Amino acid sequence: MTFLDFFKPVPSMSADAVRRFLAENSPDSYNLIDVRQPKEYERGHLPGAQLIPLPDLNGRLNEIDRNKPTIVY
Amino acid sequence: MEGGIKAWNGMVATGTFEAGMAFFAPATDIREIVAVAWSMEEGSRRFYQRAGELLRSDPETVEIFRQLTEAEDAHKHSLLASYEHLTGRRADPTICIQKMGMAEEGIMEGGIPVKEALVWLQDREITEILDLAMGLEINAYDLYLKMGRRMEAEESGRIFAELAREEQHHLERLGQLLDSRL
Repeated sequence: MTFLDFFKPVPSMSADAVRRFLAENSPDSYNLIDVRQPKEYERGHLPGAQLIPLPDLNGRLNEIDRNKPTIVY
Repeated sequence: MEGGIKAWNGMVATGTFEAGMAFFAPATDIREIVAVAWSMEEGSRRFYQRAGELLRSDPETVEIFRQLTEAEDAHKHSLLASYEHLTGRRADPTICIQKMGMAEEGIMEGGIPVKEALVWLQDREITEILDLAMGLEINAYDLYLKMGRRMEAEESGRIFAELAREEQHHLERLGQLLDSRL
């Protein structure tokens, strides 16, 4: 990641748009990443979400398929 | 997602990332993975069957639990069919489960012990049972989605993806029923 990556536009989706996206797309066609802490994930998470806490994200980018759209919360 | 989890006005799964998948940890091959999934489906089938028996006074609920009981049976059959397709051999999950030391436990899809769930069912309101059933299904959906991604073999991944789709459908049915009872 370079300094310029901070300025790449990241589109955001409303919760309703995410709900529609998840309903209309096959689970293997996207990445759904929960970047909160494990305790927060434990209390409740979107079904199928992969837990990668924000502090670990940089070291675990290889777990995210770059060829698929990624939804992060 | 704008607003993060707080903006998500929908059902959530609970438990640690590995929680449900831990039940599959002792499985060393597709035969044992299928056997664990099969035993979970059997656990849920027993739960829905008993819930249907206890709620006899509500025909619509009885009918949905009857359909869910049949659906869990259908899942068991499709798991066996997938196994036979993958290996070219007939499957006997009960023997496999016994060998893995899981026969006595009897767990449902959400990882809840069947025995405890059957005791819990006594004297419960319909809405409480539907709440638990939805919790069960959302965690099963979560588990199967994650197992589907974890499986390296495309075909075994597809088994879990198909189960996940079915659980999503069950959730919708239960949610509609719960809405009509609130």
